[in-house]
Amino acid sequence: MRGPRCTVERLDQPSAYFNNRNKRRRFDKDQRDGDDDINMQNDQPEEDPLKDATTLYVGNLSFYTTEEQVYELFSKCGEIKRLVMGLDRFTKTPCGFCFVEYYTHQDALDCMKYIGGTKLDERIIRTDLDPGFTEGRQYGRGKSGGQVRDEYREDYDEGRGGIGRALQARMRAGSRDRAGSRDYDDDYGRGK
Amino acid sequence: MRPWHEEVQAIATLFTDNWDDELLRTNFVDLVLQLAVEQPLKTPFVAAVVLVANGNRPEVVDMLLEKLAGRIEETIGKGEWRDVKLYLKLLGCLQGCLEGEGVFPVLEELFSRAVDLQTASSEDTIGTEIVKIILLTLPYVMIAAPGQWAQKAADLMEKTEIIASEPHTLQTLIEPYQLGTGEENPPQSQSLIGLLQAQMQNEANNGWALPCLPRPWEFPLKEVEQRSKIDDAAKHALPTITIPQTVVAGPRPLFPEIYFSVYANQDVESVPPLANAAASLIRDVLLDTINVLDFNRNVTARHLIDLDCYFAPRTFAARATPFDRLRDIEPPKSTWKPEDVAVDAVFSQLLQLPNPEHKLVYYHSVLTEACKLAPAAIAPSLGRAIRFLYRSAPLMDLELSYRFMDWFSHHLSNFGFTWKWTEWVDDVYLPDVHPRKTFIAGALDKEIRLSFAQRIKNTLPDPYKEMITPEKEKDTPDFKFASDDAPFAAEGREIAGLLKRKASDEEIDAVIQRIQSQAIDREIDALVASTDVFVTCVLHVGSKSLSHVLAAIERTKDRLADAGAASDAARSQIISATMAYWSAHPGVALVIIEKLLNYSILTPETVINWALVSRAGNTRGEALAAAHVYEMVFNTVMKVTGRVRQLVVKPSSSLASNVDESETRDREIKAMRALFAAIEDALASWATGSKDEMIEASDGEGNSEGERMVRQWGQRWLRVYRRRAAIEEAFLVEAEKELARRAEEQARSSEAGVEVVTRMDAD
Repeated sequence: MRGPRCTVERLDQPSAYFNNRNKRRRFDKDQRDGDDDINMQNDQPEEDPLKDATTLYVGNLSFYTTEEQVYELFSKCGEIKRLVMGLDRFTKTPCGFCFVEYYTHQDALDCMKYIGGTKLDERIIRTDLDPGFTEGRQYGRGKSGGQVRDEYREDYDEGRGGIGRALQARMRAGSRDRAGSRDYDDDYGRGK
Repeated sequence: MRPWHEEVQAIATLFTDNWDDELLRTNFVDLVLQLAVEQPLKTPFVAAVVLVANGNRPEVVDMLLEKLAGRIEETIGKGEWRDVKLYLKLLGCLQGCLEGEGVFPVLEELFSRAVDLQTASSEDTIGTEIVKIILLTLPYVMIAAPGQWAQKAADLMEKTEIIASEPHTLQTLIEPYQLGTGEENPPQSQSLIGLLQAQMQNEANNGWALPCLPRPWEFPLKEVEQRSKIDDAAKHALPTITIPQTVVAGPRPLFPEIYFSVYANQDVESVPPLANAAASLIRDVLLDTINVLDFNRNVTARHLIDLDCYFAPRTFAARATPFDRLRDIEPPKSTWKPEDVAVDAVFSQLLQLPNPEHKLVYYHSVLTEACKLAPAAIAPSLGRAIRFLYRSAPLMDLELSYRFMDWFSHHLSNFGFTWKWTEWVDDVYLPDVHPRKTFIAGALDKEIRLSFAQRIKNTLPDPYKEMITPEKEKDTPDFKFASDDAPFAAEGREIAGLLKRKASDEEIDAVIQRIQSQAIDREIDALVASTDVFVTCVLHVGSKSLSHVLAAIERTKDRLADAGAASDAARSQIISATMAYWSAHPGVALVIIEKLLNYSILTPETVINWALVSRAGNTRGEALAAAHVYEMVFNTVMKVTGRVRQLVVKPSSSLASNVDESETRDREIKAMRALFAAIEDALASWATGSKDEMIEASDGEGNSEGERMVRQWGQRWLRVYRRRAAIEEAFLVEAEKELARRAEEQARSSEAGVEVVTRMDAD
């Protein structure tokens, strides 16, 4: 335990995003993702799924950032046990996120503190503690295969394929395509 | 902005006006204590609030002292020496409202422990640490109760002198500069403790003026009422603080410390000079701030940028004064640049031997954030630090010059890779073994690893561009067997094809057999030849990305392990093939080698021998100048020592497995020692120039520039690994002590346990 709350915020806390997701999951279990095997027994006090987390979700990568670059930067916090690049689920090309797994929880925390929010390949990257990679999560869940945030993004981001792909499609085809809403629920789609 | 005393008074009044709120009272006391250890720059200000509150509600001081005394006792017991120091500093600031001699009896008692320890062993580090704490507490006591304790302080310092002036046995190991390698003399390193003693002696001679320290409890003369209220406020007895007879080293290994500055010897003083106590006092609180706040680098950087707010007015020159303008400042105005002082403190950690408290990348991140917060102020200071380090890198400890290189490239990657490369352009033409050329080559390689060759090339002036070869711009290396010129080209292509279609072992076996018999016909080592072809093919098949190559290794790991086990030469060839295939991108090769070590396809000895014997031998020692060769050996050694440490501190799980565990532990320790011995062996001959390859290639005298440089590289390498070896031995000794202590504790508590059980039986 870390004792009383610190007089300044800690950077190795899970993001509000994870906490919100987690809270919601507790309430609507029916919609829980199949890949999510966090134990949630009804009447037992819930164990923090990130208590010993050794994995980080890394977001806001350029589509062109390579595994080698990720290795070079993230090894500064400890040896990397496994790296899983996030892929467009149709084209199987990198779509701007990855999972980095360390051997120890401490390395993952240090990475949150020292690497999250710094630059890789000249982009500010985002890290978030993650309960662990499971097969299937390497794929983008946006409608067109990448991450959800790259569907309707209005700013032009050269490293992430320009403006949102759905917007591009709409511009190409006129706006015949009406977006369904439920299936855009990407675990990490919201970026920041 | 309101003056300090008004701010202090406002907070104190707000607090005492709401005295009836019981929760607030406890929270206030707890917050005071927490601030002291989390944001130490604020301690004097927090103390001032307490002193003013004492005028209205003296009870608050009793509440605080009660807890503070407890914390001091507790942290001494656990050997958490930094917290001891930070709590004592708070207590020192409260000296004015303490009864009797206040803090002094605690300091004296602490000192007597230091004496015991130092008398018992000349290698003791706890005693030194205690003396450091005493010397750093004294100034705060002296400003909190001016003019009263000069004799007490003098008596204490007369005693600390003996310990502080004795050079520590480990000191030579942790000096940042390597002596005796070149004709230039590196700057003299200063033992921190010796320096402190001299500075405080100076202060004592000057009536403890200590002009840099803030005194927020002092009210202007016209505030007569408030002044007398503080002076006449109640005095409080300090609750007893019991210091255990034996003190412990605590969770962090203690080493003697060196005072390091990247801004020494400038023509204008941009940081406090060594003789001035301000140098140590400011540095000390900045280091505590940096190391305590590692969980929020943004706040650390903010404190560093704002550091002038926490010291007496006029301690520093105005923020962001350009260095060239310091010359125009007329004495007695200060020329100390707050940015330089901040940057200096971070570098002193980044370049601390044996290791700073946190991972090196933390200190990188602090400099990055500071630069982001105040680029115009910080960037020029960093630039001057970089130039100093670039110039002194050849004289520096080798581990430190690589730390500098690693930071430099990482830092640039956060700021668009911009650096004034033109100013070093002449060094591009130096021979590759020259330390400055090595630095450039290594830094560029690291930049490329974090980015890509074309990008980095575009940031460089023309002469540098030749250092980035066309191979570096290719996505994947050429496959040497694609051309028929390479021996075994057909077999290589065949194996690659078989691997791609995941053919059966038998099919691959057949080709390997063919290579081996051809090799025998050509009178070359058959195992080496087939290993080279096979490894190169695995790398080629996996060339697309690290996951590809790791998957390829995973599929072929049995064959790789067999190949490696067949002979030392074959095992070494696995590394040769990897380094050759990825020669344009050594970073990739290093990751692959790390994974091969994890699979035990390679052993640490293979790596050491490959680098320091064969590779160094084939290049007449010049490989010792290559950054990636150093990195490969260093990573391997860290892996081995890390594992030993893990085994040594691991609490034994059960009695049954205990025997196995201690066997594994002993085996690993033995292996580690053997590894260090092998390194020593290989390096010693490079360092003295007695290596066969050097003598053969020599002009006879061994005095050519190239040979001289190779000898220097050998000496620099040797120093790094002798230190590493010594540190690991020291760690084992400490761990042994700690285990014995824990076992004793356990025995005591289980005896007590038995007693309880028997009594329960009796009931």
